[in-house]
Amino acid sequence: MRVDDLPGELILWVLIASELAVFIAGVSVMVVLGLLDPQGFAAAQAQLDGRMAALNTLVLVTSGLFAARAERAAQAGNTGAARRGLLLAALGGVIFLIVKGVEYARDIQAGIGIDSHPFFTFYYLLSGFHAAHVIAGVFVLALVAIRAEPAPVQAGAMFWHMVDLVWVLILPAVWLIW
Amino acid sequence: MDPLTKTWGLLVGLTLATTLLAGFEGAAAGLGILGLAFLKARLILGRFLQLAAAPGWLAVFAVPVGVWLLLIGVGYAIVLR
Repeated sequence: MRVDDLPGELILWVLIASELAVFIAGVSVMVVLGLLDPQGFAAAQAQLDGRMAALNTLVLVTSGLFAARAERAAQAGNTGAARRGLLLAALGGVIFLIVKGVEYARDIQAGIGIDSHPFFTFYYLLSGFHAAHVIAGVFVLALVAIRAEPAPVQAGAMFWHMVDLVWVLILPAVWLIW
Repeated sequence: MDPLTKTWGLLVGLTLATTLLAGFEGAAAGLGILGLAFLKARLILGRFLQLAAAPGWLAVFAVPVGVWLLLIGVGYAIVLR
């Protein structure tokens, strides 16, 4: 096992590991609080619409497929296909944010605020922090699509896969298990 | 079917299985959801992030994630027992 074996730039792996650590820490605190109050967390989680989260998971993994294809196309020198893949991946991010916005609007209309219950504090913090990464990812994908050169495209795709990875890890504690 | 499309198909299948399991109550469903989350994470790390082609590195990322999900599952199972 050698550092040179890692695909892409080492700094991106440092970033991925750091982001994973931050989200894992946040979810861990949420889970500990949930284990101390499982009924309260279950009642709070029941107010969320899990179908929106499932839809957004499908959107993100599909977007991840386009990003991965863009990366392979850029490495093969197919700039046009790489650009199309990146823009489709970014479009997936925009759709994700629209669904998220609809979900937040419904939550707020239902009277669910960040201080309604500790569950919702973590719900808004974790999903909001993740959404901020999605916004950043959409800009990164659009930026690297301009020239669609292999190294930047790979970096953009890796950032996007990290966003995807974080999502599947925060999903159970926020939407599913209580 | 190319490997990337196959990976996407597996992720979609795991997502649908997660949605199905979320309709059930109890520790077994929760543990199943956590297990499916691990499989999705491993697929993203291994195939989309290409760690499967980097000897040893997939385990460096997947094992801590797996242990973390397992700890959540153990705590969850004890509390909901």
